[in-house]
Amino acid sequence: MNAWLTTHIQACERALRRLRAQPLGSLLSVLVIGIAITLPLGLYTLFANVAAVASRVNTDPNINVYLALTASDTEVRELEKRLRQLASISRVQFVSRESALADMKRVANLADLLAGLESNPLPHAFTLRPTSADPATLATLRSEIARLPKVEHVVMDFAWAQKLKRFATFAERLVLLLGIILAATVVFVTGNTIRLQMLTQKDEIEVSQLIGATRRFIRRPFLYFGALQGLLAGGVAVAAVSAVTLWAGNEVQALMVSYGSDYAMNSPSPEQALVVIALSTLLGWSGSFISVSIYLRRPVH
Amino acid sequence: MIAFSNTVKRYPSGFEALKGVTIEIGTGEMVAVSGHSGAGKSTLLRLAAGIERPSQGSVMVNGQNVAQLKEAGLAVLRRNLGLVFQDHKLLFDRNAYENVALPLAIAAFPRAEVGKRVRAALDKVGLLNRERSHPVALSGGEQQRLCIARAIVNRPSILIADEPTGNLDQDYAATILDLFKSFNQVGVTVLLSTHDDAGIARLNCRRVTLDQGRLVP
Repeated sequence: MNAWLTTHIQACERALRRLRAQPLGSLLSVLVIGIAITLPLGLYTLFANVAAVASRVNTDPNINVYLALTASDTEVRELEKRLRQLASISRVQFVSRESALADMKRVANLADLLAGLESNPLPHAFTLRPTSADPATLATLRSEIARLPKVEHVVMDFAWAQKLKRFATFAERLVLLLGIILAATVVFVTGNTIRLQMLTQKDEIEVSQLIGATRRFIRRPFLYFGALQGLLAGGVAVAAVSAVTLWAGNEVQALMVSYGSDYAMNSPSPEQALVVIALSTLLGWSGSFISVSIYLRRPVH
Repeated sequence: MIAFSNTVKRYPSGFEALKGVTIEIGTGEMVAVSGHSGAGKSTLLRLAAGIERPSQGSVMVNGQNVAQLKEAGLAVLRRNLGLVFQDHKLLFDRNAYENVALPLAIAAFPRAEVGKRVRAALDKVGLLNRERSHPVALSGGEQQRLCIARAIVNRPSILIADEPTGNLDQDYAATILDLFKSFNQVGVTVLLSTHDDAGIARLNCRRVTLDQGRLVP
């Protein structure tokens, strides 16, 4: 146990020494890997913010049913009855043309305009709440309602919100795909850094193997090096994305206020930051492992 | 103890470096292997050092069969041997002290003991005052002594040296051979190769001669 700990401490020290021995080279590879991680993390943060905004928008799938102006009171009551009989409707609210006009008049700059009208141009309407948000069910429901007598228009004003949600799903997949590609990049970049390092330490590796170093012993400091590089790069990525969200955050907030929202942009959370750093550490380790294993497959001579 | 029994070494190219060699080297014995270059001296020593495995027959070192050991097993075996190379195989980006400390790092020695061991080894080969020097600053003889210091820092019971005096002039060679003699006198088994008859006379030890992969009786 003690010897085991000693070997690990020594390997870690060797990795640190190698990192310090080439400060510029190490800095550059940390930055390259850091940028590779910044891209998916940045996009993820951006889309997460878009999704957060989208979820604040009222996506309650209300259906507005506008009747023909010619509809009589009996016909309205008949229609209401039939609407209530529909299985997939949970609430039916009647909005009379009079109350709609009254509502409109309350909006200051429309009052004058409406006063000039001879008769009420607004139809009776129903606001319905469907029980399902499934697009296919809603489409059927829509055509069903549209076929009812005296129905002029059926408006579902949540269609755009659904599109937004679909975009969010698409964005998620995009981030995932980009994440996978760039994770591979991290593995390759680390692998190449380690390969170059092994070439410069060819003699040391050869001599160490000759005088009794196991492959594991040779591999260990390189694994620490790769993991350390990944760790630093993960830190760079988290710092970069947090800095950008802070920097852009003020502007976004001002913009949202002008839309009547108090939404503030989210930086990556501490948990997300930890996951990203842990992941990039693991990727650095893997790249290093692959590279060293390929190199050490050659026999000792 | 090292024992070769009908040992054959065939390289992938088809070249047979050893064609059935049987030798037994007892504990505490010193054996010099002589022969022309290409006679199989280096191959014999590489097998004894567990750097290569035999194609046929067996090579027993410290009670373990080199033919059957796995990669990691061979590494551990080599750790308990002292290996001296003709071309020294020193690391030129490290000073004398760090070169000698390398086997101790591989064996995960506690740090407190490393300094003592390294200085004791450097002292034995007469390089204690050169511990900060880099190998380039050392003469050929000093480089070979540094290589020997690295080989003995682990206090191995067996020393294996391939042409340790190959590149050295007479005076330096004599110093090196006397070092091996002194190690043997304190009980270390020594197996070395040389094509220098004067050297073998100086060692005054058992001699085996190889010719085209076979032992000369």
